[in-house]
Order: sequence, then C-alpha cells, then structure tokens
Amino acid sequence: MQLVEQAKSGQPTRLPGDPGVWVFIIADMGAFALFFLIFTVGRIGSPSLFETSRQHLDVTLGLLNTLILLTSSLFMARAVEAARAGVRGAVVRNLGLTILIGLGFAVTKMIEYRAKGAAGIGLTTNEFYTYYFVFTGIHFLHFAIGIAALAMMLAKARRDVLDARFTVWIESVGCYWHMVDLLWIMLFPMLYLQRTG
Amino acid sequence: MQSKVDTRYWRFCAYMGPLFVAIFYYCWGVLGHNFPPFQPDAPAAEVAGWFREHRNGVRLGMVIAMSAAPLYGVWGYALAKVLEQSVGGERPADNILVQLARVGAAWTVITLLVPTSFWLTAAFRPDALPEWMIQMLYDMAWLLIDLAYAVTTVQLFALGIGFMADKRATPLIPKWLAWYGIWVGFMFIAECIMPYFFNGAFARSGILNFWIEFLIWMGWVPVLTYYVLKAITRIEQENAAG
Repeated sequence: MQLVEQAKSGQPTRLPGDPGVWVFIIADMGAFALFFLIFTVGRIGSPSLFETSRQHLDVTLGLLNTLILLTSSLFMARAVEAARAGVRGAVVRNLGLTILIGLGFAVTKMIEYRAKGAAGIGLTTNEFYTYYFVFTGIHFLHFAIGIAALAMMLAKARRDVLDARFTVWIESVGCYWHMVDLLWIMLFPMLYLQRTG
Repeated sequence: MQSKVDTRYWRFCAYMGPLFVAIFYYCWGVLGHNFPPFQPDAPAAEVAGWFREHRNGVRLGMVIAMSAAPLYGVWGYALAKVLEQSVGGERPADNILVQLARVGAAWTVITLLVPTSFWLTAAFRPDALPEWMIQMLYDMAWLLIDLAYAVTTVQLFALGIGFMADKRATPLIPKWLAWYGIWVGFMFIAECIMPYFFNGAFARSGILNFWIEFLIWMGWVPVLTYYVLKAITRIEQENAAG
C-alpha cells in the first residue's frame, strides 16, 4: 500500500526489505516455476493417472491451508505496518498471530500426510504422488524456515529498538512469508483442483 | 579490523576456483561419464561395458580430478580471507563464520576425493569385477557426492551470512551474490530425494538433481571469484589509503 501511495505521489519507490532477499525470492520462485513445468509435462504424458490420483487429495484441507496462509500473511502485513509506525505492542501482537495462525498449516499438512501414509500412498506410489510429496515437502521446508524467521523477529521485536534497521529485517521476513503464501496459492490449484478434460 | 592486510597470494588462490571447475568438469565429468551420469535404471552391463572399454580414460580423469580436488579448498581459503575483511572486528580470523567457511571448503575437498576414488576403483580392474559390482561402485560414488551436499552448504551459508555483515556503504561482495550463495546451499537439499528415484527429474541424472544442482554451484564459483578479485583490489586500496 505504501508503494502504491509513493507511486501516486511521484516519490521514488523502493523494494521493501533488503534488496538481496529478492534475489533469493526470485531464484526460489524460478525453481518452483520449473517444478510447475515438470509437473505439467508429466500431466500431459499421463492425464488419466494424474486425474485419478488428484481425486484422492483432500480439497477441503487444501483450501483450509490456503485460508490459513492468507490470514497469517494479513497479520504479517499488519506487523510490518506497525513496525514502520514504531508501535512495539502492535508488532509483537501481529507477529504472534502470524506465527500462531501459520502453525495451523503444519497441523493440517501433518493430518494430510498421515492420511496418505495410512492409505498406503507414498513418495514412490506413482508420478503424481512423487510430485505431490516433493513439491509440498519442499514448500513445507520453506514454511518451517519462515516460522523460525518469524520467531526470531518476534524475539527481536521484544528486545531491540524499532529503528530503520529493524524495519528492513521485518520487511525482508515479511516478503519471504508472502512468498511461502504465493507458492502455496500456485501449488493448491495445480495439485488439488486442476482437472484433466 | 587490522590496519594493514597482507594480500599476497590471495589472487593466485582465488584463481584456483575456476581452474578447479574447468578441470573437474572435463576429468570427472567428461572422461568419467558423469556429465551427465548414467541414469540409475541403466543396466549394469551398460555401465560395466563403458568402464571396461574406457578404463584408461576414466583412470586418467579420476587421477587428475583427485589431484585437482584440493584446489577447491585453496579457493575456499582465499574466499575466507576476503570474508575476514567483510565481517571486520578486532580479530576477524577468529570469527566463527570465517572458520565455518574455511572448514566447509576443506570438507568439500574430502567429499570430492572419496567418490572419485570409487570411480577409479571401478576402472582399476574392470575385467575382474562382476557387472553388478561396477554398477555398485558407480552408484556409491554418486550417492556420496550428492548426499554430501550439506558440507558445501556450511561453506555457502557461512559465506553468505558473513558477506552480508559487511558494514561498508558498498560491500566488498554484493549482497545479491551473498543471497544467491545461500539459495544455492538451500537448493542442495533436493538431493535428499535423489536415492528414491531411478529416472525422471529427481534422479541423479535428472533436470533438478543433476543439471540444476550442479550448474548453479559450478556457475557460482567463477562469478564469486570475479567479485573476490575485485574485493582484493579494494582491500589493497583501503590499505594504501590507511
């Protein structure tokens, strides 16, 4: 929102967070773009296998995960706004909610993985499930790192001065957290919703 | 930070990185049939047949690759010297990031030396070895060289975090490159799924676990070397300016 206001007022805009973190984000999103391409090529090769396998995924849990991450991201954005305004209480509260709601993603993902395990579905069951477990697994790793980074920011928010340096930190973590969100928004329709005509 | 830094030999050591990549690519990669490798589902007869027919080429390739492996460590130590100047402080050589960057480079050398010795073993007396055993040596070498990724990740993370700690207005090493190195170290984790696949993107010869993983690492070496050489010049200029 700040960027939009800056653009409207003709002020020079800047990337939120450390510019270097965007190198990581763009490189990472490039890797996921390749994953999506690999999946699409596989799907073209075996449409019926992908369709029957997809039907065994729990769309409700997938949708719940999407809502969890979107809500968590909302509080992340509010934490960044609060940091810019220098309001420590709001930063701590919003970061806490970001983590708390975000952890719901881990719970639903574990429920999903356990259900797949109980049904005898694993990494090497078929090509579709290989992609499902690898892509969601790598995404889950991103999520876990994000939670760790958020916990670190929460500790910093309680302890450190909320200066320009802190703002760069929280914006960087915020950008990363939004990337975790964005990648899931791509993964969810690709894996759970995309039907084969 | 030390007032006077002795930069003698740093450049020489820094050049060893790209030299290592060039030698390793040709000797380990081309002569050893590792660039790209045999697919894991290739029949044992195919792998064994190749080793029997090209035994002398593989021997030559692995002997040179083993001799050149320490160059990676030499290069890593040059990076650590520049890293000392990035992290600053009273005794930068004692900084834990500098020490981790050093041991990460040194350990990486071991992870290159050991698997190359397995490929060399397969080419040493290939007629006396059953086909499955040659295949096993080939597999063992690949499992080790890929799954030892975490050792190099220690170096990549230590360098990335350390280069970002630079307080200069223009850091010695650009932050984007520091972040790129961290990303490379992070991407290596995809190797963990390699043992489950015999073909496709995640196999040792696949687009992810071979082409992307090796190229992002091999590309990082000369790019970082270029910036390290520029950084050495800047360190010398800072010295001259007192």
